[in-house]
Amino acid sequence: MIKLVSTCNIFNFYKGVDMSKKMNKKITRRSMLKSTTALAGAALGSGLITGFPAIHASGTPTIRYLGTAVNMGSEPEKKLFEDTGIKVKYISKTTDEVVKTILTQPNSFDIVDSEYFSMPKLVPSGSLLGMDTNRIKEWSNVVTAFTEGKVNGKTIGDQGTAPKKVLYLKGPNSTEFSKEPTRYATLIPTVYNADTLGIRPDLIKRPINTWAELLNPEFKGKACILNIPSIGIMDAAMVVEAMGEYTYPDKGNMTKAEIDLTMKIFTEAKKAGQFRAFWSDFNESVNLMASGEVVIQSMWSPAITAVRSQGIPCIYQPLKEGYRAWAAGFALPSTAKGRQADICYEYINWFLSGWMGAYLNRQGYYSAVLTTAEKNMKAYEWDYWMNGKPAAQDILSPTGKKLASKGEIRDGGSYNDRMGAVACWNATMDENKYMVRKWNEMIAS
Amino acid sequence: MLNKKGKSYYFCWGFFLAFVIFLYGPTFTIVVLSFQGPEGGLTFPMNGFSFHWFHKLWEGGGYVDIGSAFRRSILLGLILMVLTVLLSVSAGMAFRKKFFGANFLFLITVSSLIVPSIILSLGIALEFRLLDETLKFLGDKYSIQWIINDFQTTLNMYSSGLGAQLTWTLPFGLLIMFAIFNRFDKSFEEASMDLGASSWQTFKFVVLPIIAPSVIGIALFGFTLSYDELARSSQVMGATNTLPLELKGLTTTVTTPVIYALGTLTTGISFLAIFIAIILFMIMRKK
Amino acid sequence: MKINKYFLLALPFYLIFIFFFIIPLILTIIVSFWDYTEYSIIPDFIFDNYKYIFNKCFKISTDLCVTFKTYLSTFYFCFMAWFFTLIIGFTVAYFLVFHVRSVGMQIVLFLICTIPFWTSNVIRMISWIPLLGRNGLFNSFLISTGVIDEPQEWFLYSHFSVILAFVHLYTLFMIVPIFNSLIRIDKSLIEAAYDSGANGFQILTNIIIPLCKPGIIIGSIFVITVVMGDFLTIGIMGGQQIASIGKIIQVEMSYLQLPSAAANAVILLIITLLLIWTMTKFIDIRKEL
Repeated sequence: MIKLVSTCNIFNFYKGVDMSKKMNKKITRRSMLKSTTALAGAALGSGLITGFPAIHASGTPTIRYLGTAVNMGSEPEKKLFEDTGIKVKYISKTTDEVVKTILTQPNSFDIVDSEYFSMPKLVPSGSLLGMDTNRIKEWSNVVTAFTEGKVNGKTIGDQGTAPKKVLYLKGPNSTEFSKEPTRYATLIPTVYNADTLGIRPDLIKRPINTWAELLNPEFKGKACILNIPSIGIMDAAMVVEAMGEYTYPDKGNMTKAEIDLTMKIFTEAKKAGQFRAFWSDFNESVNLMASGEVVIQSMWSPAITAVRSQGIPCIYQPLKEGYRAWAAGFALPSTAKGRQADICYEYINWFLSGWMGAYLNRQGYYSAVLTTAEKNMKAYEWDYWMNGKPAAQDILSPTGKKLASKGEIRDGGSYNDRMGAVACWNATMDENKYMVRKWNEMIAS
Repeated sequence: MLNKKGKSYYFCWGFFLAFVIFLYGPTFTIVVLSFQGPEGGLTFPMNGFSFHWFHKLWEGGGYVDIGSAFRRSILLGLILMVLTVLLSVSAGMAFRKKFFGANFLFLITVSSLIVPSIILSLGIALEFRLLDETLKFLGDKYSIQWIINDFQTTLNMYSSGLGAQLTWTLPFGLLIMFAIFNRFDKSFEEASMDLGASSWQTFKFVVLPIIAPSVIGIALFGFTLSYDELARSSQVMGATNTLPLELKGLTTTVTTPVIYALGTLTTGISFLAIFIAIILFMIMRKK
Repeated sequence: MKINKYFLLALPFYLIFIFFFIIPLILTIIVSFWDYTEYSIIPDFIFDNYKYIFNKCFKISTDLCVTFKTYLSTFYFCFMAWFFTLIIGFTVAYFLVFHVRSVGMQIVLFLICTIPFWTSNVIRMISWIPLLGRNGLFNSFLISTGVIDEPQEWFLYSHFSVILAFVHLYTLFMIVPIFNSLIRIDKSLIEAAYDSGANGFQILTNIIIPLCKPGIIIGSIFVITVVMGDFLTIGIMGGQQIASIGKIIQVEMSYLQLPSAAANAVILLIITLLLIWTMTKFIDIRKEL
């Protein structure tokens, strides 16, 4: 026991020395303190109280992974263990609860998968560590949608909390964003997508091409919107603009008056019985669509896949106003250190090394490093998912379910067509507190 | 009236049957849908017939690890059961005599039932958050090594979670104890004391056997209430979840008919348990 | 009064309620006066959280403010759930006590009622959805038998489905205490009344109901408290479209607006306690057990 604990503290000490070269004196002193009192204090406490450093120092490296269910699954878990010997323990929560957990229980996880739009909330709180991009092998290959806000050389819509606005930090422990690229990133990008409305073509029976259709009285009692305010408000804004009611200077950062206006339009629609339900979880959206309760709603890509794999037609409808995009990435809690942090970096490097990228691409998401993902996909798969070409043979999901038959084309077409048509990003606004209140009032009305 | 099978009798039978059908309607859906084919979803139509989801339930793993949440909930329920029995029996014994603050204790016990669970959950979460902050502050101030290095949070299934559920099960336990002792014949106890037994002996050999059936009732209540508790636990469980919370969490991510398989399984197990209990009961009566 | 061994017996019980009940409630009240940002709560003494709750509530206008509307809708669900669980719970308990004469049979029927409660709440709730949906079993059945021509929308994600779920979930909690009261009624009393010419209805209203009042009140307290603080049932069965005060608290907590949630909690607490206090005017719980 004591031996294990001391091993663990050697790592701390090592890190202390390492950091003292770059960091201020305070940390050095603290690390020194740590190593000197290590045997006395840590032997009493660390192993006995939580048990985890001892386990990590001795046996299988294990990381506790907090996030939404998007990147979680038993296949990646198995593959990760085969490739690296790292075990992962998933803690799956909703988007909002992930943020809440980071803020209230920063020690309950080793690595977190969060969305870029949460950064304006999380970074000032100092609960996350600046990610050292020098330790990320594929950093130079991260797609330009993150680093420059460009797809195929063309600048895409950046209303809302676009990743490029919140990608860099001024230093490893900084609580301020940097406009210029620095060595430290808020999140290491992993996955992103362009979201739009999902429809049931068999029940609608006519083409849909604008966000305004969500509030079309034709679909009274058969429409649905998601009940996550920071995402829902962006969908609502797309609808309001498409209806020609108002054009926002910046949808991603509304004024109080603009929030009032948007919510007024949606409150009226709600009172008129436009919505069948509001979904706050992925699964609800699948069930609503699959059972035919709803024929048009804001939806996420894997939900479409889930509906289709039940043999029910469902289209991720491209719309003329463009897409609402989102992006997620990895961060470590600000308390991360030593070997545990090393394991997390190793995990991130594995994540970007290709197998996982292919796994994500095959579900209709996009991997942050496409070059490695391409090597792990068959040419016909790559053509279907990324180049917008007709499927040369049946397209299967990572679990082997058929998603598209030979000859079909992906909804929305190629990567450049879809990501190139992004109009805005999920957002945290300056008036976020006000927005959440207004949103709740709409639900209550 | 009581011996005649009048209109009231048939009406009540009919009403009872309708109620049972109403109760079991959803159970029926659960059972049918748990045999959904591997491609099927949470709603009708059925997409084939298989035991696929029972297999999945058994395997566990991945993010849909219902199995281990189930085991955690059972363990927590058992701990709760033991604590509820011990604490309510001892408090119930105390309440037979006057003691300092008895009325106040009774008042807060009943209020605990009345306060909406979500409020209490919020309060306990706040309390533990402040406790965490205090510990961290002390740790930094006095350089207590394990706090600086490894302290995570005091919020845990077996600290705050257990406490939150106790505020829910204990009032039921105490109320049942009151109900017992209101009808308890003290002369047995007095006789035992007169014969020179110590108060512990009296309790063990006289009181306990009399109240035993109700104590079993408290145990069952304690377990069931804990097993199904959601609102009070919602904010206080920390990193791990009980089964109801896991299920709630699951509906927010990816849900499969695994949860129906679980429903079928638990219903099956309770039928079995009750069936065995009835048989045992009948055997015991024959003796 | 001197501290005696009975106090020591009750001490663990005491401590648990002080630590997990009294202190959390006091903290909730304190925090309801605090300020907050997106990511932290700030000790303070402000009334903003309360002011916001009653924003525009005391202006004379045709529209009710959100808070009052939400409470009205919560009261409505409370009343409906209470009414139906009481009627059904009483009838079932009455049946079990007065019409089933063998104890064995009583136990068996009672157990039949309890088995569904071993399946988790959440599962039992979700399982209504395939039954009630637009293409669910009820609609298909009613259409195929020609009762209705088109699928009925109000079965699911409506007030109806919320009340249905409440009744389904909580009737047992009404049955148990009423059963407990009824079984203690001396049957010879009823025989006597019957012999002296009272009819069934008179016996019910003049003897049985007054005697099982405690059971009714205990059951009612339980149902009312649970429904007042509910957020899950109304959320799932109401399609997240129906407001309840519990739901507001839960949403605020998930956005870390703890002080605001605490303020709402304090108001909900006051209202619930007032309701229950009124009910306990009718009985002394401790004596009636």
